[in-house]
Formats: sequence, structure tokens, C-alpha cells
Amino acid sequence: MSDSLISLLTALGDDELILGHRHSEWTGFAPHIEEDVAFSSIAQDEIGHAAGYFGILGTLTGDDPDHIALGRAPEDYRNAVLCERANGEWAYTLARHWLYDTADDLRLEVLESSAHEELAQLATKMRREERYHLIHADAWIKRVAHGPVEGRTRLEGGLSRAFGEAIGLFEPFEREDDAIKEGWLPTASSELRRRFIDRASASLDELGLPTEVRAGVDEAAEFVASSSGDLIASGEEPPGQGTRSTGGGGRRGVHSDDFRQLWDDMTRTYREHPGATW
Amino acid sequence: MDVYEVFRRSGHKDPFEHCGSVIASDSEMALLMAKECFLRRREGQHLWVARRTDIHSFKDESLLEIAADKSYRFPEAYRDVVAKREKARARAREVGAAAGESNR
Repeated sequence: MSDSLISLLTALGDDELILGHRHSEWTGFAPHIEEDVAFSSIAQDEIGHAAGYFGILGTLTGDDPDHIALGRAPEDYRNAVLCERANGEWAYTLARHWLYDTADDLRLEVLESSAHEELAQLATKMRREERYHLIHADAWIKRVAHGPVEGRTRLEGGLSRAFGEAIGLFEPFEREDDAIKEGWLPTASSELRRRFIDRASASLDELGLPTEVRAGVDEAAEFVASSSGDLIASGEEPPGQGTRSTGGGGRRGVHSDDFRQLWDDMTRTYREHPGATW
Repeated sequence: MDVYEVFRRSGHKDPFEHCGSVIASDSEMALLMAKECFLRRREGQHLWVARRTDIHSFKDESLLEIAADKSYRFPEAYRDVVAKREKARARAREVGAAAGESNR
């Protein structure tokens, strides 16, 4: 059994599950009824993708996909911190949706040629749906960026908060070197991160959004462990000293307080009623 | 924001049918919203949206009511034509025969 494959699938599935859960919290609260339906549908898609990853994972480990999704301790989740952040306002959600789906498209593109055939097929299937998610995110971002100043300002705020942490999506997962050697992941996270920064920066330039929204993102930065054990990008001060979080730690199970609240909500029914079905 | 009417077809050869409406800022956004609101459960395979104000109709619907008996516009009104024709042919034969007799 390949531990590096398990580690890769866990990171991928957890990103989708946790972001899907955050997206689903907009159900009933989105800015208008049509978007409420649209965003809830996207949330379901993301959770469906998690089910796809956990399905493969289940065949490798013999574990039940529901248990993988809801039966783990908080420190066993490997999603990037970006995905677990509280929704805040719509502008932040939108910024994160756009950054995540841009990143996910790059990731799925390389996974389509994964040496693990089932994963490669799943990536192709998911990419069709993610292409639509990206169109949805792009449509929103464009309209808000070119719209009245209040929306634009809020979007800039959301992007400033989310851009740095989006880099954490490319924090190497455990045993990544092995996964690359085996061909499970054909392209290293560091290379994907470079592609992501290029692509997202070019899009934001095209929209005329100020470069400050991605200030502090060091394209050459490597994730290293700080003295506190948190992963930070080298070349930056540790978080809390006036610089922005680079969203590291998630791939090693180090999460923010926001995750604890999410985990509590998400897994409560599963924990309180073991074996319940519906 | 405008109201867009949404039309959907279920198969390649089926006609587009009105299925509802969405409120959106422009046609691209309307399509995205319509896809999620009216096509997310595979209810069809294609969508149109049209701004409600671009759809034209009669102001006074009563103009469309049909006032008099228009049965002559329906094929049912002509069902007895065959019987009438047969009757006319029989009569023509009768008249023709009678004329032959008197000429002899």
C-alpha cells in the first residue's frame, strides 16, 4: 500500500470537503435567491469531489468514505488553512472561491496524467465541473471588480486576505517526494505554486486590481518549520509580526481556530449518533 | 438587474420550452444562474435565456380570442365531403342514364 498516495488523496479530499462545507454555509444567506441555489450547488459539487477522492482512499485503506469524511480527529485533517476560514462576507468568499478554483484547475490538470489510473480518470471527470466553477467565479470577480467602488473595495479586501493563504494550497503534503517518484502526483507542489502565482497574478492585472492584494507573496519562498512548529514561507517574518499568513500548516494537520468550529459542526451528528443512517 | 426568461429543451430534437425566470445583471450571468436553477438535475441538455423586455406580445390578450365559429379552419369540418361526393357521382350517373334513354 502506498502511504504517499494515501497522503495525496487525503489532502485533495480534505480541501474539497472543508471548502464545500464552508460554501454550504451560504445556503439561505447568499446575496440573491439565484446565487443561493447556484452556490449551494457548487458546494454539493465540491463535497461530491471529496466523496470521489475518499472512495479511492477507501479502496486502499479499507475505511468507509463516510468515516473518512466525518470520523477523524481534527488533527487528522490535511486541508489547507484557506479552505477552513470562516466565510466572513461575500467578497471574501468570492475571492477564495476564485483563488481556490484557479488553483484546483492547475492541480487537476496535472493529476489527469497521474500514474494512478483511477485518480487520473477522476481528475478528468472533476475538471469538467471545475471548469464551470471557474467560469462562475470569473463572472462574479469581473463584475464586482468593474462595478461600483464599494464592491470593488470589498473584493480587494477579500483578495488581500485570501491570496497569501492560497499559497498554502501548495504546501507539500506528507511523503510528497515519494508521490512524485511513483508518479501519483506528476508535478511538484512548488512548481504548481509557481504556475498558480503566475496565472492568478496575470488575471488580477487584467482586471486592474492593485498589486497590493498579493503583496508579501514571495514566489521563491519555501515552506519551512518555524520555531513554533508552524510552517511559514522563508523570507517572511513569522505570522503576527505585521506580515500576512501564508496559510501553511494544514498539510501537517496544524489548523486554525476556525477549523475547530467547523469540525465541531460538521461532525456533530456523526459523533453523537454513531452508526445512524438516513 | 433584469429579468431573464429561461427556456430549456430536454433532447436534441425537442423544442425549447419556457421553464422559469431568473434575475441577473446580464446574459452571461443569467445563463450561469439558469444552469444552476433549472438544469442541475439533468432536466435537459440545453438552455436559452432572453431578457423579458426583449420578448414581445400583444398588449390586449382579448385580441387573440376567436369571436365567431371557425369550424371551417379544422379538417373535422370536411369529414362528410367523401359521402357528399359519392352522392353527387351517383346522381350524375342517374342523370346521364336518363339522358341516354331519351336520345334513343
